[in-house]
Amino acid sequence: MTALPQLAEPPRRRRRSIGRRRGMLGLVLSLPAFGLLGLFFIWPLIRTVFMSLHDWPLLGVPEFIGFGNYVKAFSDDQFLRAVGFTFFYTLVMTPILLVLAFALAFLVRRGTRAHRFFQTIYFLPVVIGLAAGSYIWLFMWQSDIGPTTQLLGSVGLVDPTKNYFADFWTAFAIVVGMVTWKVVGLQMLLVLAGIQAIPDEVNEAARIDGASAWQSFWYITVPLLRPTLALVLVFSVAGSLLAFDQFYIMTTGGPAGSTLTAVYEIYRNGFVKFDVGYASALSILLMVVLGLVSAGQMLLLRNSDNS
Amino acid sequence: MRRHTTLLVAMTAVAATAIGLSGCSSSGSDSGTGEASGTISVWTRDSQASFMNKLADEFNATHDDLKVEVTLVPAADFVQKFGTAAAGGNAPDVASMDLVYAPYFASAGALADITDRVDTLPYAGDMSPGHTAQGQYEGKTYALPFTGDVSVMYYNKDLFTAAGLDPETPPTTMAEVQAAAEAITALGDGDYGFAFSGACGGCNIFSMTPYTWASGGNVLSDDGKDALLDSAEVTDMLTMYRDLWQGGAMPELVQSDSGSNAGDAFKQGKVGIFNWGNFYLSSLTDPTEGAQFDWGLALIPGAEAGQTGSFAGGDDIAITAGAKNPDGAWTFLEWVTGDEGQKVIADNGVMPTRLDLLDSLYVPQDPRYEVFAEALAVAKVPYSVIENELFNDSNGVWSTMIQEAVFGSGTVEEAQAKAQKAAQALLDESNQ
Amino acid sequence: MTRTESRPSPATAAFSGVDPDTIPRGRPRILPTAAWWVVAVCLAVLFLYPIWVMVSNVDVADLLKLTDASRGLSIFQSLGNSAFVSITATLVTLVASTFAGYAFAKLPYRGSTVAFFVILVTFMVPFQAVITPLYIVLRDIGLQNNLVGVALVIATFNLPLSTFLMRNSFAAIPSSLEEAAQIDGAGPFTAMWRIMLPVAVPGLVSATLLSFFAAWNDFFAALILITDQKLYTLPVSIGILSTDNQFGVDFGLMQTGVLITVIPCVIIYLVLQRYYVAGLLGGALK
Repeated sequence: MTALPQLAEPPRRRRRSIGRRRGMLGLVLSLPAFGLLGLFFIWPLIRTVFMSLHDWPLLGVPEFIGFGNYVKAFSDDQFLRAVGFTFFYTLVMTPILLVLAFALAFLVRRGTRAHRFFQTIYFLPVVIGLAAGSYIWLFMWQSDIGPTTQLLGSVGLVDPTKNYFADFWTAFAIVVGMVTWKVVGLQMLLVLAGIQAIPDEVNEAARIDGASAWQSFWYITVPLLRPTLALVLVFSVAGSLLAFDQFYIMTTGGPAGSTLTAVYEIYRNGFVKFDVGYASALSILLMVVLGLVSAGQMLLLRNSDNS
Repeated sequence: MRRHTTLLVAMTAVAATAIGLSGCSSSGSDSGTGEASGTISVWTRDSQASFMNKLADEFNATHDDLKVEVTLVPAADFVQKFGTAAAGGNAPDVASMDLVYAPYFASAGALADITDRVDTLPYAGDMSPGHTAQGQYEGKTYALPFTGDVSVMYYNKDLFTAAGLDPETPPTTMAEVQAAAEAITALGDGDYGFAFSGACGGCNIFSMTPYTWASGGNVLSDDGKDALLDSAEVTDMLTMYRDLWQGGAMPELVQSDSGSNAGDAFKQGKVGIFNWGNFYLSSLTDPTEGAQFDWGLALIPGAEAGQTGSFAGGDDIAITAGAKNPDGAWTFLEWVTGDEGQKVIADNGVMPTRLDLLDSLYVPQDPRYEVFAEALAVAKVPYSVIENELFNDSNGVWSTMIQEAVFGSGTVEEAQAKAQKAAQALLDESNQ
Repeated sequence: MTRTESRPSPATAAFSGVDPDTIPRGRPRILPTAAWWVVAVCLAVLFLYPIWVMVSNVDVADLLKLTDASRGLSIFQSLGNSAFVSITATLVTLVASTFAGYAFAKLPYRGSTVAFFVILVTFMVPFQAVITPLYIVLRDIGLQNNLVGVALVIATFNLPLSTFLMRNSFAAIPSSLEEAAQIDGAGPFTAMWRIMLPVAVPGLVSATLLSFFAAWNDFFAALILITDQKLYTLPVSIGILSTDNQFGVDFGLMQTGVLITVIPCVIIYLVLQRYYVAGLLGGALK
């Protein structure tokens, strides 16, 4: 019933030859994905690792320096500060997205016209690119000229002359609001797909047993949504840890560098300071952290699943 | 406006064709690099789109065997895109770049050495000195001056009048700038004396440093090896901005403005004084969206009367190291820096960099251009192979210093001392 | 299922408090109708407000600026390029992720767990960091400055999300369905194609939508990997056409550009949503 990571185990014990033939077919079916990955991901990644072991300017002659770039990263205050901020951002973003995605999905989970209508509306921001969404919100919250500051200012809720991007907390809140608006519809869609995968009979049975709406939600639906939870969690954590566009456009890392993210630092090292070798090392470090965090999440969910 | 321009272009085209024919044949025999032919790929920032396309059309019309193909690159991404392409060995033949990047790309080997070819140009000594210096690296020439963007002081004459100041005598010292800004702020009514883009390093090297230069100071030594961020002239400049900010003479938006809002605020008539470039003029004169008030422009002053300063911005143009058509590329460079090319540039409202042609091609078009021409004559630009890292990076040393000195809780001197130390460390590292 | 307890609750009916006919397919309600409408509408206003800000700042003069070809860029050409890249990338992603997702869910083989994890890792790479080596790879295989090259790169970086979706969709289908097909004489491939795929339509449509939007909105890959402006995609061209001068952004012009980019996505979404909902409600299981 629960479909999460019991990958290595075949679905049923069968005669060995059939199992092998099925495995063979599985391998063949995976080949197109591997082809793409090998060419456009693994191979460039290997080159990135290679570059990370060099003092590698964007242009010019590289020089091998072993793990020098990695050593440097651990004493690079600016990078460490950016990593700290990135984790903070992720810790704020993830619960907001999770709770809202589930809440929205349950709000509009049925196939009625009204539910479908609201599904459509909540999902709409997803079709706008992250950069475009950032520009819209940047405009909305400009002091004096921004439509939102004007609107809320006219009813006395905010000070329309205040510069919301010059203060860490307001700037941060605006970015969090924008990302929630832009992404939560997608998370809602994933949860909806998960809900729909639960056979009606399960809820039906619970109802016949006399379970209340909340009971059947909390004790039946939520546990069955664990694979969906894993999906939403892994992608919102990874997406948050890789945040760049929204800060690049809306805060440019400010005020005073307080909203620089890890990827922003990678970008600055590669394309502002032209130190591609160091940027590569930072990328590899970030990937390792991300891999560990994601593996931890999957492990956690799998374990609680088995209990 | 547009109709007017079209007519000018048409007339220019006729004139340039006549000149172009003779010019072409003579250049061919001068350089002796053989018959150039084929296509020439040119990359330029999107902000240069209008005149670059006209320049290309004009060049193509006058050169039978050569065809220029312009590719527009988003200005904010030019360095990335050009850098990646050069690293991948697939750069275009010609790149027109923000001149501050020329030293880096020259030092990194992305540009072709054109010293010998440039020596053949009769006008090599008549080009903007700031642009020329940026095209040099270790005694060789890698890029030529192309277009000019100088910073000047724009001021709102209506607000000057309202504040009891004479609109026809703009401030001639920094103290007068500050006094005028404070007088305008005192009007109340949502008017501010001054504005700048506080979170935009590239904007501020352009609009702020002229005060320091005019006063006889600098932010970097001329050879680009030493940082001078803790010098007294920098202190004076930062103190003026800090006083204006703390006195409420600037709108709140300046603190986080990354380049788009300060100019809008001035255009809406809410700001008294604003330093910006010649490109801003067309935005103010736009018949529908331009300024609805009387404004003037003047040179940015220094500490004492008679001192003036400006930033020599704009583009240098270079042949890339891996150019597939270097001879064609050179023909194009020679043409755009020559009389015909500079005329097309000037006729499209962009400032030429040939000082010897300014008076004949550019200044007569608009009396206000006179101020730009004067600015170009005194304009400077800091030379550094790490200019991007030091100044243009919105989280770099320069931007951080401004944020801390103008808006921060510490003192101006503390911010300077910190920036000086950081900048010197970066310079020492890059000069090893 | 150990935590499922059946605790009879007499309050259920009162709590639901609505005419049972309005409850489709007999599921219990969590919110009363009136409250539901209030919450749903308030949220809708919040979600639509930024879009309204965008639309209300669009004017005809800006539209004309964007379609003005005097900069040598044709927005229609870019539209065509974007359509080609997005459709190609989406098709490639769908084929690769459907096959791989099915293999991971139903046809596991030695090392498939690792393989799946490697695909997920693709999601974790800061794209900015691999762009230089990626550029060199594309140059070496002759696909630099080529729309197919861009499409393949985008497809690769869309693989993790859609593979994850497809794997979960297939995994959620009871194996009994596949077994029934095999008893009827279908091989594993036929079972996938004929029986399982139709059931996995909601997942497939989700994957299609997300791949398409990601490809359509991509700016960075197209910017760096394409060097001929005739091949620019819409986001790159819009970026260029909405730049008025040296510094700064014209917000009105930019909102117009965003709107033009968004319209095709909205259409695709609305069209596919019907199939998506149909897939959910009329799936082969029911």
